[in-house]
Amino acid sequence: MSVSARDLAVVARFGGRLYWRDKVALSTSVTLSLGLGIGMPLLTDRLRGGAEAVLDAHLGVLAMIVVIATFNQIAVTLTARRDQLLLKRMRSTGLSDRDVLGGEIGNLVVQTTLLTAVVSVALYATTGLPVPRDPLLYLVAVVAGATVLCLLGTAFTAAVPRTEVAGVMTLPFFFLAGAASGGFGPLLEMLPGWVGTVLGFLPTGAVVDLARTAYAADGTLAGDLQAAAAPLLVLAGWALLGVFAIGRWFRWEPRRS
Amino acid sequence: MTAIEVDGLVKGYGGFEAVRDVSFSVGEGEVFALLGRNGAGKTTTVEVLAGFRRADSGTVRVLGLDPARDRVRVRRRTGIMLQEAGFFPDLTVAQTVDAWRDFVAAPRPRDEALGLAGLDAKAGTRVRQLSGGEKRRLDLALAVLSRPDVLFLDEPTTGMDPEARKNTWEVIRGLAGQGTAILLTTHYLDEAQRLAANMAIMDGGRVVASGGMAETLAARAGRVAFELPAGVAPEDLPVPVASVEGRTAVCRVEDPDLAAQTLLGWAGERGLRLRGLEVRTATLEDLFLDLAAGEGTSPKAEVA
Repeated sequence: MSVSARDLAVVARFGGRLYWRDKVALSTSVTLSLGLGIGMPLLTDRLRGGAEAVLDAHLGVLAMIVVIATFNQIAVTLTARRDQLLLKRMRSTGLSDRDVLGGEIGNLVVQTTLLTAVVSVALYATTGLPVPRDPLLYLVAVVAGATVLCLLGTAFTAAVPRTEVAGVMTLPFFFLAGAASGGFGPLLEMLPGWVGTVLGFLPTGAVVDLARTAYAADGTLAGDLQAAAAPLLVLAGWALLGVFAIGRWFRWEPRRS
Repeated sequence: MTAIEVDGLVKGYGGFEAVRDVSFSVGEGEVFALLGRNGAGKTTTVEVLAGFRRADSGTVRVLGLDPARDRVRVRRRTGIMLQEAGFFPDLTVAQTVDAWRDFVAAPRPRDEALGLAGLDAKAGTRVRQLSGGEKRRLDLALAVLSRPDVLFLDEPTTGMDPEARKNTWEVIRGLAGQGTAILLTTHYLDEAQRLAANMAIMDGGRVVASGGMAETLAARAGRVAFELPAGVAPEDLPVPVASVEGRTAVCRVEDPDLAAQTLLGWAGERGLRLRGLEVRTATLEDLFLDLAAGEGTSPKAEVA
C-alpha cells in the first residue's frame, strides 16, 4: 500500500468541495464551531472582561470545536460514505486505502484550521484576547490536534453500526472534551481530583496545553519546547492508537448481516 | 494472452463457503460470462478478482498480479462496475466524472466518457435525479474512464431501457475489440449469449457448466413448441413431448428442424394445423433451466 502526495491532495480537494456543499457539515461543524468559538469568549469578555478570563473561555471551547469539526465530522462523513458504498467505489479506482482516508483527514484538518483561524481573528477584533506569543506553536496545536482527532474519529466508525446513529454516538466525546477543557465552565472543580488527571490525558487536553503554552505571556524557545513535549507525546500516543485501530478494525463496507 | 486466471478459488464468510473450487480464465479481448442464480457466488468471485476480498485458497491472477496483494497496481489497469455502489447525490453527472478523472491515471476526456455511456444530455443533471438505468450508465462511464485492460461488469444493464442496453452492448463489444478482457455477470441470459464467447455457470458456489458459448449450446437439445391440436394427446405425436405448458406442447430434441418437419408432415397427413409453431436451437436459458431443475448431464458438465 502506498501514499501518493498527488492522490492525497486530489482526495482532500474533493473532500473540501463536498464539505462546503454538505448542509449537515455546514450546520454542525461550521455554524456550531463558529458560534461557540466566537460566542462564548465574547460573552465572557462582555460579562467579566479581562484577557485572562477570555483566554480561558477561548481555550475551553477550542477543545470542543476541534472535536466537533474533526472527530464528530469525520465519523459521520465516513460512516455515511461507508454505508452508501461510496468508500468502496473510491477504492475501485487506483487510489490506495491510505489516500482515501488520508485525503479526507487532510481535508478536515484544513477546514478545522480555517475555522479556528476565523475564530481567532474574530476574537482579536472583538475582545481583549491577545495574539499568541508563539503563533507557530498555536498552529501546531490545532493541526496536530485535528489530525489526531481525525484519526480517532476514523477508527471510531468501526463501532458505529449505521449512519443515523453516528452523530449521536460521537456526542459524548464532545461533552467529555468540553468538561475536561473547561468549555462548560469550571466543572472539574466540583469533581474529585483524579477525574481531572484522567481527563488531562485526552487528546483535547493536550491541544489545550499546547495552545496555552503558545499564549503564555513569558517564555523562551527552550521553555516552549519543554512545555510542549509532554502534550505532543500524549498526541503521538493517541495517533499511534488511532492508526493501529484503523488498520485493525476499520470497515470499508457495511456489515452484511 | 491470459488476462484473468482463476484456479481452485475458495472463499467463505463465517463458516459459509460462498465460492468452492472455481477455475476459469479470460483472455485479452475476450468477453467471459459468469452466470448463475442469486447467491451462486458470482459477486464474491468478482470481488476477489477486484481485490476487495482475499481468497481463502486457490490462485487468482489479474494481468499476472495478485489482486489482493497488488491491489493498487491491479486497480490502475482495471475498471469495475460494481453491482451496487453509491454516488455523491448532490454532484452532477459531469462533476462526478470530473472528480473520478482525478482519481485515475491518463483518463479519457469527460465528453468521451459521457458519450460512450450515452449520458451527454445528462451532464448537468444531479446524480440524485437520475433513473436507475442512468445511474448504471454513469457507473459504466466511470468504469471505462481509465481505458482499462480488464473490465469487471457485475450486472451492467440492470434497470436500463432496451435502447440503453443495446448501446451498452455496443460499448462492451467495442472495448473487447480493442483488446480489453471483460468478465461479465448478468441475469439476462440473452445478454450473455450475445456478448460472451465463453461462459461458466455457477450454482451453490461451484461451476456446474462451462465452455465455449456456441459449442455448449450446439451440444444441447433444441426446442419445438406448438399448440396441441384439439383431440390430440401428447402420446399420439411422432416426436416425444417433454412437457405440456397449458395447451402448448414442448419437445426437446437434438435437431429441432428435423423434428419440426416430422411434426408438420404428421399433422398435414391428418389435416391438422400446428398453431403457434416455434422452432429454435438451445438457448442459454434452456441450459440454465435444465441445470436449475437438476437435469444437468453431470454435476460438472464440461464442454470445451
